[in-house]
Amino acid sequence: MSEQKVHDLAHGRSGDKGDVCNVGLVAWDDEGFDRLRRHLTEERVKEHFGSLVQGEVRRYEMPHIRALNFVMQGALDGGGTRSLRSDHLGKTMYAWLLRMPVPADD
Amino acid sequence: MKTVRLGAGMAFWGDNIRAAVELVERGQIDYLCCDHLAELTMSILGKQRAKDPSRGYTRDVLDLMRAVLPTATEKGIKIVTNAGGANPRSCGEAVAAIARELGVTVKIAVVTGDDILHRIDDLMDAGVPFANMETGRPLADVRERLTHANVYTGAEGIVEALEAGADVVICGRVTDVALYIGPLVHELGWAPDDWHRIGIAAAAAHAAECGGQATGGLLDGGWRDIEGMEAMGYPIAEVSEDGSVVITKPDGTGGAVTVATVSEQMVYEIHDPGTYLTADVTGDFTQITLTEVGEDRVELGGVTGREAPEMLKVNIGYRAGFVGEVQFTYTWPDAYDKAQRGLEFLRERLKRADFQFDDDRVEYIGINSMFGDRIPEPVDADLDEIVVRYAARCQSASEAAKIFTQSVPLYNNGPAGVAGIGTRPPLKELYALWPCLIPRELITQEVELMEVAGE
Repeated sequence: MSEQKVHDLAHGRSGDKGDVCNVGLVAWDDEGFDRLRRHLTEERVKEHFGSLVQGEVRRYEMPHIRALNFVMQGALDGGGTRSLRSDHLGKTMYAWLLRMPVPADD
Repeated sequence: MKTVRLGAGMAFWGDNIRAAVELVERGQIDYLCCDHLAELTMSILGKQRAKDPSRGYTRDVLDLMRAVLPTATEKGIKIVTNAGGANPRSCGEAVAAIARELGVTVKIAVVTGDDILHRIDDLMDAGVPFANMETGRPLADVRERLTHANVYTGAEGIVEALEAGADVVICGRVTDVALYIGPLVHELGWAPDDWHRIGIAAAAAHAAECGGQATGGLLDGGWRDIEGMEAMGYPIAEVSEDGSVVITKPDGTGGAVTVATVSEQMVYEIHDPGTYLTADVTGDFTQITLTEVGEDRVELGGVTGREAPEMLKVNIGYRAGFVGEVQFTYTWPDAYDKAQRGLEFLRERLKRADFQFDDDRVEYIGINSMFGDRIPEPVDADLDEIVVRYAARCQSASEAAKIFTQSVPLYNNGPAGVAGIGTRPPLKELYALWPCLIPRELITQEVELMEVAGE
């Protein structure tokens, strides 16, 4: 399988709680879910967000709906109420994760 | 087997009331649950109340009540709302005035007890540290700048109000999910410590509480297929005594209820799905299942709950300075280079004006305003246009105002091809949140009833 993006395998939504942003991904099928689980480690997702996320990234799973939830600390420039970002509520952060490359399979 | 239908009437302050009207008129609902409060809302409402003691609730509730109260009372649909915000009692009085004006008979309950601003010093003296959950800092750091302090309270006041026969329940900062859990506990006779069932109630509530976000709004996966976004139907959580849950919406409304639309809502603004903390229960949604069981009908199963946390979350807001902001646009030729020069011009002018700021940010709208330095710099020399946005956080309004003032000369002294600076934008006062906890035994909700006898 050739290199794909997360966007080819899943859809997503993101939002805020204080300075924490969470990105939920929902894979379209079981195979895609397995690939995302293998490749979207907390470390790689943190690296992908770079300067956008200052704190740690934790990953949680909801396997029956094929969802991965990434909870990112220090991700909204101080939080929705004081952030200088146009996207102060992190509504588009999911779209950055959709752009992350998922390497050709092992 | 008894089934209760809860409609999500409002999902935020200023939400259109059309969806609520549709739910009341043809949603065959038993309850209209209306969430008007976001994290920031309480700061704005706290400030309104400080200026005028009769204000401090979300005034969209007045239009809502005017539109739905006659039909709701006629059909026996009860309304549960957190529109009371920083002033539930005044909100209750305003709703009572509308009921009198409309000539409807209604029993209104006001639920209070979440507001601890007046108790803060006593509570600190009694040893509640209110330490910031993100930074560990003591509340003393910002004590003088508080706009409000409200505890995310649970469903017990709502249950008490419904048990006393209330038709309309007006709360302050109860949790969003309490607006749904309260009616379910009351109607289905679930014990408040039946953690499994209260966990189910919390999941059903979370699915519905953001309104159109469960019925195709903000949908990423398959957004092109959503029809009728302009008249989106809002969700109905259909919950049965045995704990089965179906998410649906009124027939003939826009949007859709599918596994995709509900899945996206279930991952929205949650952290650990195994520990979904609310005042009423610690929800566990890890094993959630979603199944399409009909057109616009999705069954939600597999969820449960554990004991509610001993500590409740407090939403404390404080004044945190001002933001000044300006935007300007450069066109081809050399749009990006001119934008860089324009920005340099602005920063130099600000420096000469002795500009004091804590933090600033540059965005090129249309290029990197969302993802900053994760997006490469534009290399296209033929870029048609570029919008520069410059914003800074300042301690005072007068500092923040310098940003616009010092940008105006760009129209005369900077590079050519600039437009769009516009008129002086309003300065935005910043409110920051101080996330912290309080032991639940220190918080007691109170319920007051007001009766309006119609004609």
